[in-house]
Amino acid sequence: MAIRDEIPPGTLEMLILKTLASQRELHGFEIADAIERRSGDVLHVEEGSLYPALQRMLIKGWLVGEWGRTAENRRARYYKLTPAGRKQLDAELSSYRRVSVAIDRILKPA
Amino acid sequence: MRWLDELLRRIWYLIRRDRFAAELDEEMRLHVELREARLRQQGHDPTAARYVARRRFGNKSSLQERSRDAWGLNWIDNGVADLRFAIRRLRNRPGFAIATILVAALGIGATTAVFSAIDAAMLRGLPFPRSSELVTLTDVSVPFDPGAQGFPSGRHFTDISDVAAMREVFSSVAAFAAGGLNLTDPIRPRRVRVGVVTAGFFATLGVRAQLGRVFNDAEAHPGGASSVILSDATWRRTFGGRDVVGSSIDLSGTRYTIVGVMGPGFDFPNESELWIPLTVPTTFATFAPFRGFLPSRVIARVAPGMSVAAASARLLDTWRRLAGPPDHSGRSNLEEMIDEARATGAAVPLQRNLVGQNERALVILMGATALLLLIACANVANLLLSDAASRRREVALREVLGATRGRIARQLLAESVLLAFAGAAFGIALAPAVLHVLRAMMPADLAGVAPAKLDLRVLIFATGLALVTGLAFGLWPAVGTARADAGETIKSGGSGGATASGLGMTRRVLITVELALTVMLLVASGLMLRSLDRVLSQPLGMDPEHVGTLEMSFRPESKRAEKIAKLHAILARLEGDPGIHSAGIVNDIPLRGGGGISLSIEVDGAPKPKSVDEMQFARNLNTSGGYFDAMGIPLLRGRTFTASDDSLAPQVAVINMAMAKRFWPGTDAIGRTFGFAGSPGSVTVVGIVADVRERSLERDVQPQMYFPIDRNTPDNVAIVARSGLPPGTLLARLTDAVHSVDRSQAVYNVRMMEDVISTSVTPRRTNTTLIAIFGALALLLSAFGVYAVVSFSVTRRTREFGIRAALGASGRNIAVLVGGEMMWIVGLGLALGLAGAWALSRVMTSLLYGVGIHDAATFVAVPLALIVPAAVATLVPTWRAVRVDPTEIMRAE
Repeated sequence: MAIRDEIPPGTLEMLILKTLASQRELHGFEIADAIERRSGDVLHVEEGSLYPALQRMLIKGWLVGEWGRTAENRRARYYKLTPAGRKQLDAELSSYRRVSVAIDRILKPA
Repeated sequence: MRWLDELLRRIWYLIRRDRFAAELDEEMRLHVELREARLRQQGHDPTAARYVARRRFGNKSSLQERSRDAWGLNWIDNGVADLRFAIRRLRNRPGFAIATILVAALGIGATTAVFSAIDAAMLRGLPFPRSSELVTLTDVSVPFDPGAQGFPSGRHFTDISDVAAMREVFSSVAAFAAGGLNLTDPIRPRRVRVGVVTAGFFATLGVRAQLGRVFNDAEAHPGGASSVILSDATWRRTFGGRDVVGSSIDLSGTRYTIVGVMGPGFDFPNESELWIPLTVPTTFATFAPFRGFLPSRVIARVAPGMSVAAASARLLDTWRRLAGPPDHSGRSNLEEMIDEARATGAAVPLQRNLVGQNERALVILMGATALLLLIACANVANLLLSDAASRRREVALREVLGATRGRIARQLLAESVLLAFAGAAFGIALAPAVLHVLRAMMPADLAGVAPAKLDLRVLIFATGLALVTGLAFGLWPAVGTARADAGETIKSGGSGGATASGLGMTRRVLITVELALTVMLLVASGLMLRSLDRVLSQPLGMDPEHVGTLEMSFRPESKRAEKIAKLHAILARLEGDPGIHSAGIVNDIPLRGGGGISLSIEVDGAPKPKSVDEMQFARNLNTSGGYFDAMGIPLLRGRTFTASDDSLAPQVAVINMAMAKRFWPGTDAIGRTFGFAGSPGSVTVVGIVADVRERSLERDVQPQMYFPIDRNTPDNVAIVARSGLPPGTLLARLTDAVHSVDRSQAVYNVRMMEDVISTSVTPRRTNTTLIAIFGALALLLSAFGVYAVVSFSVTRRTREFGIRAALGASGRNIAVLVGGEMMWIVGLGLALGLAGAWALSRVMTSLLYGVGIHDAATFVAVPLALIVPAAVATLVPTWRAVRVDPTEIMRAE
């Protein structure tokens, strides 16, 4: 089995928000799939841990979930970003950027 | 409002949680199936695809749990589950559960009852508006007008008009006194408690009449109309709640017009049933119906924004200004008064003033209760520790099966909190009984105003107490058990893990602390019991057995001849009764509490006093000749009164031994003479009687002088009769004798002399009983604690004992081994407890009588009282353990 990196704690929610920001509506499996694909299979989501995160975000009001049908006509819950979610994403992205720029500076050979 | 939306979503989830759980499950299933399909497309065989899909997803049930956690509801579900589990476990061990609940009930019940008493007396404000502004003013007088009789007027002290003038300091001021009068009821004459109050009294307290009005200034002025205000209870009980304003009633022979009825619940001071005006200035007439004198108290309301301390300081300034410069004798009385007031405050919060001396007793009682609660907690903690130790294996197993340590600790805590609450429920059921006993200790002035009761505040206190106790005795075992290494416990195979060390360290500390606290309570009980014993064994100077008494008051305008005639008729009737041995009359029954007058006397031939300090006083008593016989007061020398000692004969007196010794030391007092300061004539001593405890059993007897009641006949008298009849019959005959002479004469305080004496020591007896009960309970709990610890330890060590026995140790050797260990613990607890008691008993000084705080007998008796039960509690389980046949134990392993 290929060695894949764990997602740093706390970033999962940001990744979900980002994924849903670019693609309007996705169900759970599609979100997991999208995150893995976009990271070039580098980031490995313990797939199930997506769901507690999604529940947390539902409570926070960052997402809403609506039941619909998949292409194969299976019932699935589709998640959509709310305005609050979009605001949260902006906030997390900007703070992430600040931190990552700082880390980059330290790691860059002098 | 985002948090509000969030809260609503959480609540919505709580309501629909089954649907939400099903949806989550469906989502997860879909995910796994889609992954499986994807893997198959990528060329995995079906079995591998299913396996990999599941593995990549992770532990579904744990993920579902984490999701539920996200909704913040797990703790509810877990809490309910923990409680159910706790109930199930406790039901399996009813003995343990009952023991723990009873111990907790004891601690919580006692503490709750004492707290409610303290809450009523000290914490809860008085039931008057802005009651913290109310103060009692010390050494402020009510002006007195001697009228035509020309009483010498003394120096001018601060009086209530001076206080009323200090508008910026005190917004209002009032004076009151409490007394009793005869209410001539059409059906049944009876004695009523009367508040004698100035016009401003009700306004100062901030209470209004529900019907009619309160007193006006004209009524509270000498010569004003005689008005009366009824309490709500009197109005309803005696007047049936009719419209009575404007009608009149007869109080001790005077007509009073009812002007108002106070609101429900108001009966200050001293459970008053009605109020009459206290005139300003007071005159001789004001207190004439009340034995000529009532102590009055001055209260005031501090002006808004003025602190009690500041008001007190301003009042002191006024004192100083009014008194003028100190007189020639150097430090004046006033200076001393000011010094004293500076220490206690010239203005004292009313509530503190009312609680008075009871404060110390209540605080000490609270301390004793707290000790008892601590002992109960230590005991329950010990029970739980033993229990937790025997559960180690079960806990370890559950841990291996995946329960987190936090969860296990929570489960154990749920159990102890459950036990504590069950204990609290029983304890609260127990509290009213304790409270009933405590009422005797409540200050009389507060009894009606702020009765101790179990209200919401007290219930909240008890619940909080239960929670704290539950956590206190459960936390340690819970943490300890949860922390134990599961692997080690299971490997060791025993039901209890490491047992070789006998008692665990924690249990040793707990039992030592418990014993030490018990010793402290026992010392307190011992000191109190010794004091009570000292008080009760005081020579009374009389024989109260088989003596009945009643009190009655003549109408103030009664003529002396009329009073004497009635008294003689009553005496004749009683003396004619073959069931009654002797009968007599006295103005003041010993130990009835309050009352009594001392007169300044001058012994003929002795130097005249130069100052107030040199004046000599003796108690003034008026009796019939038969009184000494009826009360059982031994005549030591000379004679008592005879019929010839009437108003025409030379004046004679019978004195007590203390008076004889004080004024005629070393010589025979019979035939000697003395006089009263400032009045002519002299009195001849004709008899000497024993010293009678008069004001209190705890006060030294003062000089007492008795005069024939025919010469000086007071309005208030008591009839005393000695008889072998049963108390009920005797008291009925006493009442009948009075009524056969005058049907309309009200009688009160009809009781046996033994009851009078018993009542006079009730507060001390209650105090002592409670502390002694607490001491006994503590001893019981400690013995139980020692028993539980030892029996737990020896059961654990059965195998060790078996090996020892197999190797030749006798039962005695083993008993010595266990007993030796316990001996150290008991010894240490005893030493710590005695040291603590030695240091702390000083706080009890004011409660003790006739014993030192380091009373040797107590400090010797307490160790004995502790060692015997501790030894029994140690030896019984030990003996049971060593009697088991060693081969049986080895076989059982």
